[in-house]
Amino acid sequence: MASSTVVELSRWQFAITAIFHMTFPALTVGLSVLLAVVYTVYVRTGNPLYLQIFRFWKKIFAVGFGLGVVAGTVMTFEFGLNWGVYAHAVGPVIGVTIAMEVITAFFLEAGFIGLMLYGDGRIRPRTMALASWMVAFGTLLSTTWILSANSWMQDPVGYQKADGQFHARDWISILLNPAFAHRFPHMLLAVLISAAWFVGGISAWYLVKNRVHAQPMARRCLSIALGVLGVLMPVQLYVGDGTAAFMGRHQLPKLEAFEGNWKSDNNGYNLLVVPDTDKGENRLHVEIPYLGSVIAQDLSGKTTTPGLLQTPPAERPNMWTTFYGFRAMYFTALLMFGTAFTGVVLRMRRRLFDSPRFLRWMVWMTPAGIIAITGGWIVAETGRQPWVVYGQLRTADAVSHLTTFEVAASLAGFVLLYVTLLAIWARYIVRTVKAGPEALPTGPASPDASEALVA
Amino acid sequence: MLEHASYTLVLISLAMYVVLDGYDLGVGMLSLAARPERRGEYGEIVATAWDANESWIILAGVVLWAGLPGAYAVILPSVYLPLIGMLIAIILRGLGLEMQSAAGAYRRGWALLFGGASLAATVCQGLVLGAVLTGPSQRNGTFQGGAFDWLSLYSVLCSLGLVAVYLLAGAAWLQDKTEGWSRSGVRRTGRSLLVVTAAMAVVLGLLLPSADPQQSQLGQPMRAVLFWLTVVAAVVAGAVAWHGFGRRPDWRPFAAVATMTVCGLLGLAVVSVPVVVPPGLTVHQAASPHSSQLFLVLGVGLCMPFVLAYNTYAWRSFRGKYTDPVESPIPPLHARTYPLAVSPAPSGTLRTITRRSLLVVLGILATALSQDVFGGDADWIGPVGVTVLGCAALAAWIVGDRRDRRAGYFHADITDTTGIADVAGIEAEPTS
Repeated sequence: MASSTVVELSRWQFAITAIFHMTFPALTVGLSVLLAVVYTVYVRTGNPLYLQIFRFWKKIFAVGFGLGVVAGTVMTFEFGLNWGVYAHAVGPVIGVTIAMEVITAFFLEAGFIGLMLYGDGRIRPRTMALASWMVAFGTLLSTTWILSANSWMQDPVGYQKADGQFHARDWISILLNPAFAHRFPHMLLAVLISAAWFVGGISAWYLVKNRVHAQPMARRCLSIALGVLGVLMPVQLYVGDGTAAFMGRHQLPKLEAFEGNWKSDNNGYNLLVVPDTDKGENRLHVEIPYLGSVIAQDLSGKTTTPGLLQTPPAERPNMWTTFYGFRAMYFTALLMFGTAFTGVVLRMRRRLFDSPRFLRWMVWMTPAGIIAITGGWIVAETGRQPWVVYGQLRTADAVSHLTTFEVAASLAGFVLLYVTLLAIWARYIVRTVKAGPEALPTGPASPDASEALVA
Repeated sequence: MLEHASYTLVLISLAMYVVLDGYDLGVGMLSLAARPERRGEYGEIVATAWDANESWIILAGVVLWAGLPGAYAVILPSVYLPLIGMLIAIILRGLGLEMQSAAGAYRRGWALLFGGASLAATVCQGLVLGAVLTGPSQRNGTFQGGAFDWLSLYSVLCSLGLVAVYLLAGAAWLQDKTEGWSRSGVRRTGRSLLVVTAAMAVVLGLLLPSADPQQSQLGQPMRAVLFWLTVVAAVVAGAVAWHGFGRRPDWRPFAAVATMTVCGLLGLAVVSVPVVVPPGLTVHQAASPHSSQLFLVLGVGLCMPFVLAYNTYAWRSFRGKYTDPVESPIPPLHARTYPLAVSPAPSGTLRTITRRSLLVVLGILATALSQDVFGGDADWIGPVGVTVLGCAALAAWIVGDRRDRRAGYFHADITDTTGIADVAGIEAEPTS
């Protein structure tokens, strides 16, 4: 039995490495789709604007993708390094799922990323387009597998336990588990949306700063980003609501914690709570009355939200992280929804590219998607505690036989490294954006290219 | 039976990793000794493939986890510190490489980071290898040793040996990829590394029986024959490499070195099978149940040919000597002028306030609709509402986009935005 310090430190390490890793796929999955689309448009129309867009975003994508890959490598090994008991128990289920992710998705991405990033001028444009689509497909496939694996841990099905291990009984129901059906669309939309805010925010910055040579690209990208957001935000709110309701049915303590109630008599919606875990009450809470009931689909205002006191203390998740993770996600989602809605209205009023206040606000929204995704994962993971495989394997029992020194040393190493990396990555983005896209030459050229543009 | 197939998949992935990322790491280490003007080029040689090459160690790790979870759960905690060190080094290598590549010009710091991290990753990998060969202490299928069990004379020698092997692979790869090295320089470096590698292999091989707690099983005739076959094959490959350094064809040394490395790994497997983790954890004991083995072997086995096929394709696209990529400038577009759309004039205060209030109400309603607040009254309201909202946004996007394109907003010629800036009051900034 490992000491509780080792468990705590291992949890912190996993949380930090996971959040750090997630920052990159949150951008690169959506960016890879954007890159594949704009390069295909370029190949089909010959419009140089799309080559300019491709080359500009490729620079930001390349470094983000590389960092995402190496940070992801850390995670695949951490399962065994820190969580040896867990690795042994779920290897027959989760190990196989992740092995399939690696062989189908990682290799697809990795095999074609070299062509996509370094192929310009060495391989044919059609091959470049194919490589870009393969990278995009690989990132989407990767999202699918990892969500399947994580969803199984949230709501395990299709297994039988023998010799302390989970043995797969029915692979179809394991891979397409009920939680996956809700969480996969939610996450897929989330990564596309967060990339759209990133692209839209940076494009808006060029318009705010009136960078003349970047204007056509900025307008084009802002239009695409807000177009995607206008369509996807309503769908995402709907899917997210379904996911929360699903979790309420399958992991009630998570819902109790993220709604921030202890007693089960509140029909309001908590905006802010200061929970006292020992006493089992909130020292302070700010709520909107009746709204909790409305969100639970009862417009009469009589439905109350279940509270955490229903759950035995040994099975309660931490309300602080779960509640504020959820608020971070949900409040950002409302801002995103409102902004996307405003974007649609402005476009209909033909003011999309010359509304300075809106554009300035868009710049602030650049990291919105990443914040929401991080918050969402904090809810998903801390809300599942004290279980690592929900209802079956406790996190405290899953840890490897390690000394405090080992975990403390690695945790310190990762914190130091990741803080530095985030700083380098942020500085790199700022510099790349400030340098702007490659200049777009104008002048006489083949007339057929511009015909395709106008058509 | 299937667990042996899983074990074979682990060995294949490991062999692919050692051969492919071996040369990456070797080139990285060699770049430390190279002249600064060549260092950037070394990085670029690796940049097109390091990602794909690194994927093999992830595959080896996860197939070990899925197929032989007993072994995975014992090995990883037992080599915690060196493996964490390797992961951190791999991150730093990726960072140095990508930042150097993105910088466009040679940056000393990034290039040195790439080289230094390659060295650190190799040393850590050698320590891990040595620690596994000496056998972590285990009880009831879990690791039960201390934090520094991995540190021994044998593991240190192993890491020196691995550095030599990777350096050799790197030198062979550079002969294939660059024109810059003089023939005699290649021959001298390659051959001396070959001698060091061979010496390390002999020392490590002779010390293995004393380091490894499992009894030598070379008494079995079948095993002995197979083992000596791999040794002979390695020696032959070594001779080919010796001959090939500094001579055409340039691909030959690398092929020979790769064969040598694979033979070494094979020899190790032949000696130890069916034991995966010394002293006594066998393939059978460590294996996951049949249902997982079947899925794993079928899934990974069927995908493997495709993976190899497109990796080969990607590799062929960059075959031959490294040349600086010629990223063609963006081709110019036929000039054409468009009338700029005039923004609608601002309307009266009262109308603006009314409009905005209505829009806020509409926005809140849309949010409530999207969140399926009315789902309690009728199930269809949520899905239909979301569909209507999504389609409306899509229509606005398509119509607006066409209009803006016709107005020339997305056209390169529209550089004169002063009109827009005047209307909207956007702060003007001089052209850069």
